Amino acid sequence: MTVAGSQVGGEVVAAQEPPQAEEEAPRAALKRKDNRAWWLVLPVVVSVAFTAVIPLMTVVNFSVQDVFSPVDRVFVGLEWFRTISRDPEVRAALVRTLLFSLQVLLLEIPLGVALAVVMPRRGVWVSVALVLVALPLLIPWNVVGTIWQIFARGDIGLGGWTVNNVLGINFNYTLDSTDAWITVLVMDVWHWTPLVALLAYAGLRSIPEPYFQAAQIDGASAWATFRHIQLPRLRGVLTIAVLLRFMDSFMIYTEPFVVTGGGPGNATSFLSILLSKIAVGQFDVGPAAAFSLLYFLIVQVFCYVFFTVLTRSGR
Amino acid sequence: MLDWMVWTVPTALVFAGLALLLVVMAVWARLSPPVARRGFLRIETDRGDRLYIGLISAAVVLAGWIAITDLSMWLALGCALLVAVVIGIWG
Repeated sequence: MTVAGSQVGGEVVAAQEPPQAEEEAPRAALKRKDNRAWWLVLPVVVSVAFTAVIPLMTVVNFSVQDVFSPVDRVFVGLEWFRTISRDPEVRAALVRTLLFSLQVLLLEIPLGVALAVVMPRRGVWVSVALVLVALPLLIPWNVVGTIWQIFARGDIGLGGWTVNNVLGINFNYTLDSTDAWITVLVMDVWHWTPLVALLAYAGLRSIPEPYFQAAQIDGASAWATFRHIQLPRLRGVLTIAVLLRFMDSFMIYTEPFVVTGGGPGNATSFLSILLSKIAVGQFDVGPAAAFSLLYFLIVQVFCYVFFTVLTRSGR
Repeated sequence: MLDWMVWTVPTALVFAGLALLLVVMAVWARLSPPVARRGFLRIETDRGDRLYIGLISAAVVLAGWIAITDLSMWLALGCALLVAVVIGIWG
């Protein structure tokens, strides 16, 4: 084994011949060289700085000023943070958004896992099931909104018409705030449960067959198999699913914007809708910047806590 | 100079401080690599983790303070720094 080989060559050789004494030297050489690989991260750092960090810093700068134009601006300190964090409309939207995210998680995670469990494990139906389940994910957000805007209408929409005329329930999402809420929630469940299902399905497929054989020999019921074999093994993918679904539903914008426009009244005006109203509609960039930063902080805290609880609790 | 990012002196100072903090942490990690351990947060953290948790907690204290009370923000800053330091040392 030679030390002077290339990195890849050294690794291949080390994998083929495992003599213990000779392994240390090339490994040390590899480690030294590996540090230089950090330079490969540089393009990512530069592009993230350009597209995310610098704009975010600009938002911070905006949040402490009243900007009339780039040259005509006044430093106002933390005034916008005070205004925004005490605004009853913002607080109501925060509660609404949290409630929505909670309901989304409570519905989509169990549904997605259930779907993954009943999906076929082998045979031709695997592809059919995967394509069918993945279909809603391929539809752009605004199209999903348009589909549901029509589908849920009582007069021309199949869903709304069925609820009104077949089930006999008076349903009108443009007038009734509960109906609007249910429409947006069901739409989100329809759109995003497939993501959870696909993640959970991938997780389930990675469980080695002997686990199930052992469970069968022990005479475990389907529920016991699920509870003690499948569910614990889904921890990793479900962490990702919970994080993705939380962040996404907490930032939901397009679908309720298309379907209800935040109404009726304020019933479905989530944080993002209110924020864009302040930022783009009224062009109050200062308050909007403060709003964005508080929003960002909430997302950061939730994601970090979720991530830590879900990944580190075992350690 | 940096008019396009509408800089102000206070925000520039905050970001310079953060950048300095990152540089200091990087140099410190070079001199003595961080060790993961368990504190009152009951999760395994090294000092970088605790710095992040401390900064986020400080931001939460500041945001909560401004949303709830009219007391001086300097007092809030003091509390926030205290929280960050406590997490940094014992977290």
